[in-house]
Amino acid sequence: MPGAGCKAGPAWYVRREWEDGRLAPNEHVPLEVSSVTKVYPGGVQALDQVSFRISPGERACLLGPNGAGKTTLIRLLTGALRPSSGRVSLFGLGVEDPGFLQAKRRVGIVPQSPGMYRDLTVDDFLQLVRDLYGSGNIPEVVEAFGLAPFRTRRMAELSGGMQRRLSMAAALVSSPEVLLLDEPTVGLDPVATREVHTFLRKVMPGRTVLLCTHNLAEAEALCESAVILRQGKVLLHERIATLRQRIQPVLVLRATQGPERLAEALTGQGLAFTHEAEAVLVHVADAAAQAPGLLRHLLGAGLDVYECRVVTPSLEDLFLDVVGANDARA
Amino acid sequence: MLAREVRILFRKEWRQLVRSRGAMLTALLLPIILLVIVPGLQMLGMKTGAAKPVNLPPGVTLPPGMRELVDDPVAMMRAMMVPFIALGGLIVPSVTASYILITERESRTLELLVALPVRVGQILLAKLLALLALASLVTLVLFSVDAVLILGLGIGSPGYVLALLAVLLTSLTFSTTSALLVSLLARDFRTANNINGLLIGPTILVCFVVTLVVPGPYLSSLLLAALFAVGSGAATFVAMKVVTFERLLR
Repeated sequence: MPGAGCKAGPAWYVRREWEDGRLAPNEHVPLEVSSVTKVYPGGVQALDQVSFRISPGERACLLGPNGAGKTTLIRLLTGALRPSSGRVSLFGLGVEDPGFLQAKRRVGIVPQSPGMYRDLTVDDFLQLVRDLYGSGNIPEVVEAFGLAPFRTRRMAELSGGMQRRLSMAAALVSSPEVLLLDEPTVGLDPVATREVHTFLRKVMPGRTVLLCTHNLAEAEALCESAVILRQGKVLLHERIATLRQRIQPVLVLRATQGPERLAEALTGQGLAFTHEAEAVLVHVADAAAQAPGLLRHLLGAGLDVYECRVVTPSLEDLFLDVVGANDARA
Repeated sequence: MLAREVRILFRKEWRQLVRSRGAMLTALLLPIILLVIVPGLQMLGMKTGAAKPVNLPPGVTLPPGMRELVDDPVAMMRAMMVPFIALGGLIVPSVTASYILITERESRTLELLVALPVRVGQILLAKLLALLALASLVTLVLFSVDAVLILGLGIGSPGYVLALLAVLLTSLTFSTTSALLVSLLARDFRTANNINGLLIGPTILVCFVVTLVVPGPYLSSLLLAALFAVGSGAATFVAMKVVTFERLLR
């Protein structure tokens, strides 16, 4: 329940200690998608037998190229769309279940760049949200998201960044246990994006989160696991740390003699390497163990090595590896 | 008993409607002209002695709905009130529905509602109720002016007023359900207005044809009321078939 296990601080800033994704007796999985297929009228298939579950306390990102089915999946989870087959549930309740709204009240949703009402003020909207959720503290979220000077302003008159803050404030009014974030920073300038990230870092810990994003750096900074979709299918659902182990780290080497001389010196060392501009990229299994020896060998060969650094694969590298560069327009 | 969510959403819709000058102006202006000014002036004119029996040339036969006119000049007034009342009931919902449904889609604010703990059907029901509430309020208040004039000036009996009320209520229902259907099918204001025009134009024609062809305002009122009721059922049936959130969110 909202507020359970909270430390000092406002209600929306609840932190909960989850037991590593394990479910308590009688507790349901917050978000579950089971063998879901979605075919739109006209025959367009958006999802094909998609299954995954987001455990309590898990912060997952939903990644995929354009047209992969991310938005469809978010809309299915919000109950706006119904699957053609399979089941989508929040806390074990599907949209067809009588208690679905009760489950939805435990979920805060930030839609993807929604429109803003021209005839409702910020206060009107937050009041509507609180009434529908049945609980919540408006002054607290208004204060937390810096909306106090704008309470009587019409929603459509807010700047893009303030509109996004309002969306997040609305999602957090009732201090929900789960957050569904559909591209929360798309279309924002860097300053507003940074603000949103700051707010998200405050509110995400202790909550179950599914973040749908195109921004891989954002996903990497905010989430610990990734669900990757492609052409309506789940390619994988894994912890990002586990994903990292799939790609070897790279040792970037530069020497004053140039990459050709470096490559010559590396030949015969039993290492795979590639050229990139003035650098040579060496693929190593254990950078910490192999780099010192390699560096000694190069210096011993008379090369003036002025750069030797380890680059661990980013989520972007992992994404490219999984999805394939041709489809990676996430 | 309405669900709590529907009541909350209804209040939101009502607040938005009342704040929208455009929606209120279109909801009030045309019905005032059609339901009060035009029939009111005609009724008052009838009673100032301007009405005279119709002097038809020999061999000319009036259609069944107009035959009373030869003996009673006020019969023309009674007959023409039927399509005017029907028009009043037809116009308010169709104009307001465009505002209440299509604006929400065009401005992508529906995404905000979908994110809240409500069901799709509850969103639509609240909109439909707000639409009906505004249309009923406006037209019934204006119709009461007509009723007072009709009874006060002795133009018709209480039964005649009730027959007109049946036309008004059924035309309101027909217009509301068909406006919902149009708003679901149309992607924008212009398309909605075009479809509304295509729908309401022939409906108005049918109203006048029934008035001309069916003898007596009682019978023509009842027939129109029945036609509107059937039309409402058909529009609701089709709307239920096509109403999917894919359609609203696209």
